[in-house]
Amino acid sequence: MADIQTYSHDAGWKNTVLRGLLYLVLILFAAYYLFPLIVMIATSLKSLDEIREGSLISLPRVVTFDAWNYAWNEACVGVECTGIKIYFWNSVKMAIPAVLISTFLGAINGYALTKWRFKGANIVFALLLFGCFIPFQVVLLPMSQVLGKLGLASSTPGLVLVHVVYGLCFTTLFFRNYYVSIPDELVKAATIDGAGFFTIFWRIILPISTPIIVVSVIWQFTQIWNDFLFGASFASGANAPMTVALNNIVNTTTGVKQYNVDMAAALLTGLPTLLVYVLAGKYFVRGLTAGSVKG
Amino acid sequence: MASLTLDKVRKAFGPVEVLKEINLAIDDGEFLVLVGPSGCGKSTLLNLIAGLESSTDGEIRIGDRVINDVHPKDRNIAMVFQSYALYPNMTVRKNITFGLEIRGVSNQERDKAVADVAKLLQIEPLLDRKPSQLSGGQRQRVAMGRALVRDPDIFLFDEPLSNLDAKLRVDMRTEIKKLHQRLGSTIVYVTHDQIEAMTLASRIAVMKDGILQQFDTPQNIYERPNNMFVAGFIGSPSMNFIDATLTEEGGKLAVTIPRDGNPIVLPLFEAPESYHGYIGKDVVFGIRPEALTHKRTNSDEPGSQYVNFDSKVEVIEPTGADTMTVIDIAGKEIVARVRPDRAPTPGESMTFSADMSQISLFDPDTELRI
Repeated sequence: MADIQTYSHDAGWKNTVLRGLLYLVLILFAAYYLFPLIVMIATSLKSLDEIREGSLISLPRVVTFDAWNYAWNEACVGVECTGIKIYFWNSVKMAIPAVLISTFLGAINGYALTKWRFKGANIVFALLLFGCFIPFQVVLLPMSQVLGKLGLASSTPGLVLVHVVYGLCFTTLFFRNYYVSIPDELVKAATIDGAGFFTIFWRIILPISTPIIVVSVIWQFTQIWNDFLFGASFASGANAPMTVALNNIVNTTTGVKQYNVDMAAALLTGLPTLLVYVLAGKYFVRGLTAGSVKG
Repeated sequence: MASLTLDKVRKAFGPVEVLKEINLAIDDGEFLVLVGPSGCGKSTLLNLIAGLESSTDGEIRIGDRVINDVHPKDRNIAMVFQSYALYPNMTVRKNITFGLEIRGVSNQERDKAVADVAKLLQIEPLLDRKPSQLSGGQRQRVAMGRALVRDPDIFLFDEPLSNLDAKLRVDMRTEIKKLHQRLGSTIVYVTHDQIEAMTLASRIAVMKDGILQQFDTPQNIYERPNNMFVAGFIGSPSMNFIDATLTEEGGKLAVTIPRDGNPIVLPLFEAPESYHGYIGKDVVFGIRPEALTHKRTNSDEPGSQYVNFDSKVEVIEPTGADTMTVIDIAGKEIVARVRPDRAPTPGESMTFSADMSQISLFDPDTELRI
């Protein structure tokens, strides 16, 4: 007994030190990642005068939302000084349909590839998977030709199409891997009950897909909202998404550099994805690991 | 309610033939059990009947209707799955009525049907629960309820009890049998458990490697197995197989088991015609443990078919009702079933009685019954 007690005493002391070290490292990392965000927020709440006088990292003496208001309503994107708000709505109009359509199609694909296996299903899946590894830049030229022929060049619907096509590989992969773990007998039972392909999909498969739908939505929303390359290439001027507009605001070099406005615009651009993570983040981790471990 | 006929049914996946010319026919109200080891094709056969897979060749009929090309939903069958396959997002009530709803049955009729089935299976308090809130046995009942509610021509059961624990399995087995007796429905039931097969079936189809080994009543399969596979598969503990020779002495046939200097000669009292071709040749002597017992008191009376012999006892395994006694005959371990109060101690020598009216002889090469 005495031996064990001494041992556990030693371990307890060691544990405390190691745990302290661990927390120190974690806090350092957290600070490292949070610091830029804090600077951005602080800067966006300062007036331009204060920025010029004070240091970059000091907190604002007087909190003002003028920069946010200016960024939203008045900032100049190129030659148009209409603020970032119209581009925000552009992004919304692009991201929501693109996320919904690609998620829905991914679900149907995954369902068909796992529960209604047809000849060559594996090849189809392998080809789709291959799509996940194609860099954006490779498809720029062929995609612009296709959009041109479809009459969708420089328009939001065109951008939606691009994102749906590009996102399909990922959403299919998510849903296929999720549906593989759902027993086939469920579909067989429903078939005998008289339900067809789509009835089974709507009534049985989709209602039990919540975790993977959340994963797909978060993933797609983040990808599409944050995308710059497709937005800059396929939608120009008044149809540009928010990321492109942000770039134009920051790079507009007339007169004084308005750091506070730049920061506010950047934060506004990043806010929606942040919000999605906060609201559905716990499902994200849960859904990504679903199927890998049988519960 | 309907009869079921399978006529030369074949199934191949590419070059792999999983079912080879299966011929089966059962009457209305029969309980057919498909039994065999894993991979014997029994589940595939059930899927063919259900229409979840299509046969490569042959004809499947329910009643007089050929159903090869009929969609599963139009075959008027219902199926209970091994994993129960309850829809996880629906309540028990919804699970049971889903099939009726798809078929456009009115709300009132659905409510009545679900009430009847729930009463029959005693699941009324569970109707508004989700499957995840049910125990294994309750899920099993709901799965059966889903099949019953449709009042189909044929019920298909795919290893429905194998996910339950041992005690519940026996209880549910009895319930299924009761249900069958009450409803008089035609049932096809797949299992790998030979006890389930024996207890439930009105007829058993024993399968192995996609070949139908024997199709008969449980008693016939037990007493007159077609071949050594069926003999060994059905019955627990399984039948003893002993290498022997068929001999003739003074016009009487006997099974002679070679033993160092002291062969066991077991005279046959009734010998079918087919035995005569094997006189003087090697045979496999098959005897079930219960036909091999302690010395019977009436074994010396005239007309008795018991033959006595002595052997040394190796191991005993008491089961309570009987004591399984392992004896060594010609280097093979043979199990005899002895009454506990007559059980020997290991190492002891004892007289055993073999009931020669309950034996089987097999050809050692073809393994078929002689």
